[in-house]
Amino acid sequence: MSAPTLDALLPALTDWLPGQRWFAAKDRTVSGVRLVGQQEITPADAVPAVAHAVIAVSFTDDGPTDRFQLLLGSRPEVSGELEHAVIGRVGDRVVYDGLADGEISRLLLSLIVSDTTVGSLHFVPEPGTEAPIVGPGRPLLGEQSNSSVIYGERAIMKLFRRATPGLNPDLELHRALRRENSREVAPLLGAIEGEIVPDDGGAPVPMTVAMLQDYAANSADGWSMALTSVRDLLAEGDLRPDEVGGDFAGEAHRLGKTIASVHIELARALGTERLGADGVAAVADWMLERLDLAAGAVEAVAAQREEIARVLNGVRAADDEGLLVQRIHGDLHLGQTLRTPRGWLAIDFEGEPSRPLDDRVRPDSPLRDVAAMLRSFDYAAFHQLAEWETGAEAPAYLQRRAQEWADRNRSAFCDGYAAIASTDPRDQLAVLRAYELDKAVYEALYETRNRPNWLTIPLRSMARLVHDTDPARGASDH
Amino acid sequence: MNDGTPSAPTSTHVAEPGHEVVEPSAEDFRRARQLPVEDDWYKRAVFYEVLVRAFADSNRDGFGDLRGLTDKLDYLAWLGVDCLWLPPFYDSPLRDGGYDIRDYRKVLPEFGTVEDFVEFVDQAHARGIRVITDLVMNHTSDQHVWFQESRRDPDGPYGDFYVWSDDDTRYPDARIIFVDTEASNWTYDYVRGQFFWHRFFSHQPDLNFDNPAVCEAMIDALRFWLDLGIDGFRLDAVPYLFERDGTNGENLPETHAFLKRCRKVIDDEYPGRILLAEANQWPADVVEYFGDPEAGGDECHMAFHFPLMPRIFMAVRRESRFPISEILAQTPEIPHNAQWGIFLRNHDELTLEMVTDDERDYMYAEYAKDPRMKANIGIRRRLAPLLDNDRNQLELFTALLLSLPGSPVIYYGDEIGMGDNIWLGDRDGVRSPMQWTPDRNAGFSSCDPGRLNLPIVMDPVYGYQAVNVEAQSNSSASLLHWNRRMIEIRRQHPAFGLGDFHELGGSNSSVLSYVRQTVDADGHRDVVLCVNNMSRFPQPVELDLIAWKDWTLTELTGGVPFPPIGELPYLLTLPGHGFYWFSIQPGQER
Ligand SMILES: Nc1ncnc2c1ncn2[C@@H]1O[C@H](COP(=O)(O)OP(=O)(O)O)[C@@H](O)[C@H]1O
Repeated sequence: MSAPTLDALLPALTDWLPGQRWFAAKDRTVSGVRLVGQQEITPADAVPAVAHAVIAVSFTDDGPTDRFQLLLGSRPEVSGELEHAVIGRVGDRVVYDGLADGEISRLLLSLIVSDTTVGSLHFVPEPGTEAPIVGPGRPLLGEQSNSSVIYGERAIMKLFRRATPGLNPDLELHRALRRENSREVAPLLGAIEGEIVPDDGGAPVPMTVAMLQDYAANSADGWSMALTSVRDLLAEGDLRPDEVGGDFAGEAHRLGKTIASVHIELARALGTERLGADGVAAVADWMLERLDLAAGAVEAVAAQREEIARVLNGVRAADDEGLLVQRIHGDLHLGQTLRTPRGWLAIDFEGEPSRPLDDRVRPDSPLRDVAAMLRSFDYAAFHQLAEWETGAEAPAYLQRRAQEWADRNRSAFCDGYAAIASTDPRDQLAVLRAYELDKAVYEALYETRNRPNWLTIPLRSMARLVHDTDPARGASDH
Repeated sequence: MNDGTPSAPTSTHVAEPGHEVVEPSAEDFRRARQLPVEDDWYKRAVFYEVLVRAFADSNRDGFGDLRGLTDKLDYLAWLGVDCLWLPPFYDSPLRDGGYDIRDYRKVLPEFGTVEDFVEFVDQAHARGIRVITDLVMNHTSDQHVWFQESRRDPDGPYGDFYVWSDDDTRYPDARIIFVDTEASNWTYDYVRGQFFWHRFFSHQPDLNFDNPAVCEAMIDALRFWLDLGIDGFRLDAVPYLFERDGTNGENLPETHAFLKRCRKVIDDEYPGRILLAEANQWPADVVEYFGDPEAGGDECHMAFHFPLMPRIFMAVRRESRFPISEILAQTPEIPHNAQWGIFLRNHDELTLEMVTDDERDYMYAEYAKDPRMKANIGIRRRLAPLLDNDRNQLELFTALLLSLPGSPVIYYGDEIGMGDNIWLGDRDGVRSPMQWTPDRNAGFSSCDPGRLNLPIVMDPVYGYQAVNVEAQSNSSASLLHWNRRMIEIRRQHPAFGLGDFHELGGSNSSVLSYVRQTVDADGHRDVVLCVNNMSRFPQPVELDLIAWKDWTLTELTGGVPFPPIGELPYLLTLPGHGFYWFSIQPGQER
């Protein structure tokens, strides 16, 4: 699979890409695919052969191009399981998505374990760890923005699909947390690191290709567990959340402790700083910018723009002492947590993938993560009602029960957090509310564009955060 | 009896002053026929705990007895249980349900005689049913002749049989177990003018195992019953045999050494018999009672897994598999000859010592709404009332009991869904007479109802007219028939008893699924998949069965084949509180 032959694959890729789960630009029409980097991992005539490639995808809207990473496998012939992964035929070879091939995933793992460099690719084991050598990997099924393979319930490797120059924060933070011997994340076992020519040309810079970590066997994600609990509550005649068997507050409390520990470990590993007045103003300005963006698209946001801006400006309350910032998770929600038989884990430290890397690695207040989690509890509480009542309002008593569930679990989460952290997140109420409202505004924009029948969820929270000063509700719960 | 007022020794064997008591020997009795020696019978067995006094009364005195129990062996054989566990039936003043033994070699007169016991074991063996009995080694009744001698004559042969002290300050780190009734582990005895040590009630003095004569006497008591033909012992309260300064007096090395000695007696003299330890401790401590893993286990063959049981209740209430997954993940490997004993309910309260405070509060709130339902640190209720008599949950719980790793112990009466009587004192609420028929006294006894030792449950839901063996035998849809069928299925698959345990996980946290797998000496593999819905709502689950790709699933209760396992996760849907048992078999050879 030398360069000229790969070029022959590009037309086939144009058809293949939009069907991939990780392909982030589904709403745009691909106009062309260009090869911007490649590195053979095996000789091109090996069976199977495998190569790493970076492609640039352009679109009919003439908007910015997107760059993605591929691991391409090829064999003279494919059968059975590999058929659904085929991209196209090049010369005498069938080329397919390499991660679907157990032999290739096995090879990648052994290259990491044996600390190998192949051209521009470095397969590096994490110092002081030993990755298990356990047969071929199996692709993880299900919604994912990247692509993972699982090795015998012992290890999981994630191939990052977006080709972004620089160290991926997921790998960076997992490394830092591993140095802290964190029990709150799945320990890092190794990585594949490559290089990429920056968007604006110039010399190649490092890029993270893939990350290998412990597989948390027998785990379930926090989002589906929370939905189970809500379902249990809404089905009850008239019990309160603390009275039903499916109560989640114990889990929410433990989860709060886990997240607080992650924050402490990240602070210890990578430091903290205080944002002065300028820095705080920049945060507020950034929130106001997002507000204007949303107000342009969502009527309900535009209608309350002034009230919302007032709450967002609450972040300036941090002015006096300065806002304590550090590296944070950046995209926390219940779906980024795994309940294992040993407790909770936080996963996926990439940050909001749509934001530029510079933004994602900028130190921010841990309250942003806390606020994001509080938002997630609101989503879990009202998700089922939103699904039931497409468009129409759910009956008031159900809304009240869902709100009770949200309140109870939000406070349990904050209680758990406060039990580990030196401060209670609710002590900085104005800042916390600003972060939460900022997130809700962003959600309103997102739902308007993508899932209109969920729009009621952020709108309801927005109304509460703007108008409700009753300290017994929501995040202000003590 | 905390004042130590001497109570009359009622034991038959009175000592001559300064001489040892003469005790009966097994030679004096007929012996029961034996079942063939099978090395791992206890790993495959379903145990059934039966209280002699509550099962059947043959002589109309209102007490169940050994002859009555013998008469019911056909029923137990029909039910399909493999081994009966009899709580103490020894001579006793019955101040602690018989756990206060007055004479290790005599049967409580209300229950019958040693001859009746031998006949019972013989008849059980004739039906292929084994028998283990409770033995309390830690302490005796204060009416035991050993104690009477010990308090009377400090210099006599029994002077050192108990733990005496001039003051009550030693071993301050040993916790008080019966916090409801006891203020101290020491009680003053006016006769001897010293304090004696007791980990349980003050009428149950602890034996002094530092005295070699006590060890010998206890091993002789074991031999007595083993010679008569029983298949093993459940050893009550084993963690407390020894006491040492500066320790909490639990799980001491000396205790383990003595148990190893007992095991050696079994291995050398009584192969195929077993020791089952009752050690209400965390699994990491309990595994010590199995002995040396290198030797395959050289202490007790079995031990109860205590924390699993409350976790099963929690998991279903929380609609989450994690309470069970957690405790199983924390359970260490056990030696290859060892086996856990697991249970949902037994004659004691639902023990909550081995849960965290949070969990205990939660369990009280959920399962013991009336304070009378609480006892010590536990809940005194039977299975059916604990589950609101909900048939789906009863079946789910039983399916878990019969399929989780360990040998299941069924508590008498739970197979028909009997209720309890929370108005009876102590733990008697769950010890009411077995309900055989809708007739007078539930068919338990033909005595005058006023003479019944404990009242029959009369309640409209759980009373004997609604819940009894006769009615349920006549209806193939009954809980009794269902239980019998499940026991039978379990017997057909050695994986349930012998198999290893692998939890499958899956993204649905309400579903607990696991695979049990064993390979026999001929290389024949038995693989069983169990899928349990902890939630009251129907649930889908996707299972990763890729390791058995192209194999087929057969549902075990109906024999219906399910689609073969392919490349994709295996999708199942379960009704609320539903469960499946499947056998996984290699696909058709082509
Ligand atoms: N260490 C792990 N152990 C077990 N499962 C994991 C682990 N990390 C991720 N997963 C599973 O993989 C899914 C995707 O992982 P994630 O890191 O969020 O990938 P992406 O960045 O593609 O969204 C998660 O939802 C989770 O179910």
